[in-house]
Amino acid sequence: MTVIPPPPSLVYRYRNAGASYILLGLGGVFLAVNFLALNMQRGAEGLANWEHFTIWVVCAVVSAIILRYRLPKHDTLLFALTMFLSGWGILAIDRLSPLFADRQTAWLSLATAAMVAVGIFPHTLRWLRTYRYLLLVGGLALLVSTIVLGRNPSGQIGAPQLWLGIGTIFFQPSEALKIILVAFLASYLAEQYPAMRAEGLNTGHHRLQLSPRIAGPILLMWGLSVVILVWQRDLGTAMLFFFVFLALLYVASGNWRILLSGLLLIIFAGVIAYYQFDVVRLRVDIWLNPWPEADGRAYQVVQSLMAFAAGGIGGQGIDQGYPTYIPVVHSDFVFAAAAEEWGLVGVLVVTACLVTLFVRGMRAAMNQQGRPFRVLLATGLSLLIAAQSLLIMAGGLKLIPLTGVTLPFMSYGGSSLLTSFVIAGLLLRLSAVDD
Amino acid sequence: MNQALILFALRLVSGLLLFSILVGLFIIVWKEYRSTAGQSEVHRRVYGTLKVLRELDGMYRVTGETYPLLPLTSLGRSPTNSIPIPDTFASSEHALVTLRDGQWWLEDRQSRNGTTLNDLPVTQPVVITQGDVIGIGTVRFHVELES
Repeated sequence: MTVIPPPPSLVYRYRNAGASYILLGLGGVFLAVNFLALNMQRGAEGLANWEHFTIWVVCAVVSAIILRYRLPKHDTLLFALTMFLSGWGILAIDRLSPLFADRQTAWLSLATAAMVAVGIFPHTLRWLRTYRYLLLVGGLALLVSTIVLGRNPSGQIGAPQLWLGIGTIFFQPSEALKIILVAFLASYLAEQYPAMRAEGLNTGHHRLQLSPRIAGPILLMWGLSVVILVWQRDLGTAMLFFFVFLALLYVASGNWRILLSGLLLIIFAGVIAYYQFDVVRLRVDIWLNPWPEADGRAYQVVQSLMAFAAGGIGGQGIDQGYPTYIPVVHSDFVFAAAAEEWGLVGVLVVTACLVTLFVRGMRAAMNQQGRPFRVLLATGLSLLIAAQSLLIMAGGLKLIPLTGVTLPFMSYGGSSLLTSFVIAGLLLRLSAVDD
Repeated sequence: MNQALILFALRLVSGLLLFSILVGLFIIVWKEYRSTAGQSEVHRRVYGTLKVLRELDGMYRVTGETYPLLPLTSLGRSPTNSIPIPDTFASSEHALVTLRDGQWWLEDRQSRNGTTLNDLPVTQPVVITQGDVIGIGTVRFHVELES
């Protein structure tokens, strides 16, 4: 396939790197102020958590310097937002469940290293494309192995067993599968690009709207999502996979019928799931009306709503609210905790940061015009971040049924953090055009 | 000093910092949006325009819609075309106008209802020039080239 680079005038050059670093600096001061307040709240013995802040600063500075020299044309705002959100995440976890903070900080340093490695390694994108089948089979094998070997770090009976564990280190294969799947779909669709453009549309005699070429993968993907849903009861991941896949297919083909048919399929699956699976019915019932069971099964969502209400505009201040009333607040409900302690302003900043991340990812996609694989990869990865954030943020606000996915960069969870940082690394790589 | 007072001050500072981060983010995004808009305005070379004509009372009249003529201009009903035509008689990918060796060529992309040039059907790529009228569906385009 011949590569037609976009005309120079349409490639956006990232300027104002200084402004991004100033923003990151402001974020650093914000974190320092809050760590100070957290220590004061905890009394004199709590000085230990400065090490989390220090490690974050070291991670941010070292990766900024390496990226500056080894990947000079990258989008600095993307980097700054990634580091700021993850730092805020460390702060929130330290405040909400101090026992997990050490582990999360360790994951942060590993994740930052992974981001830098993915960003500066010259063959990243080529290898993702060349070894796509190997990666996909590997990822699926890991996922299937959780059906047999899966565990849950909390050790509860009946909890979804989505993790693979070695000793005390747990990893969630469905997280890694996210990146692999987007990369696989991007390279598959990039190859089918001419065919899809010609067939899906109304050109002359070819009026096949849903040929097997297009319907095949969509049905396969739907099947895969359903399998994840049925076997693992991982509603959030299944939804995420399917939405991102649909969006990618739409971007590749420009055919809105795909969106429509996909939505019909997911509604169909949703209705079936509602009647077949208790967990789905529970989530939907709680979403429709949580109040009859506010003390029971809807406790989590109701407490989350209370946290949002308690936050007000300016928030209660760190460690001065009561977000820990929400069960598992450190992973699924970090957003609600932020709402209670930093208020509307905090919520707006988190949302604005995530939206800007998404927009900058799409900008990277636009800068790669003429290279379908890169366009689709950047689009898919940005959409993954955006859809995941949207699912959990809206879920915590009871705007949609709650799905247990993590808030990218902020929630507790090593594999989630690592995945988010690898995505950030790939986007940084894609944002640097000339390579 | 009173601990509660210090905590309140820290809360205030943290809120102000959050607010300044929000403002800073807005300024960065806004500035870059402006400079991108400026960039693409400055660098776009003007080759010519296609003026949209529609039939009214038996005559084709200018509707005011104009599109820039690009070295590769695609016309059709699909929104992915450089000139999308919301007309039921237009095919999704209807026609193509290209600049080759200093001449503008019009090419029909096997559209269902055909393309016309000055009301004659286009069966093979033809050279177009200043003042020609391209017809797609019920829409006509008046070609105006920059000399």
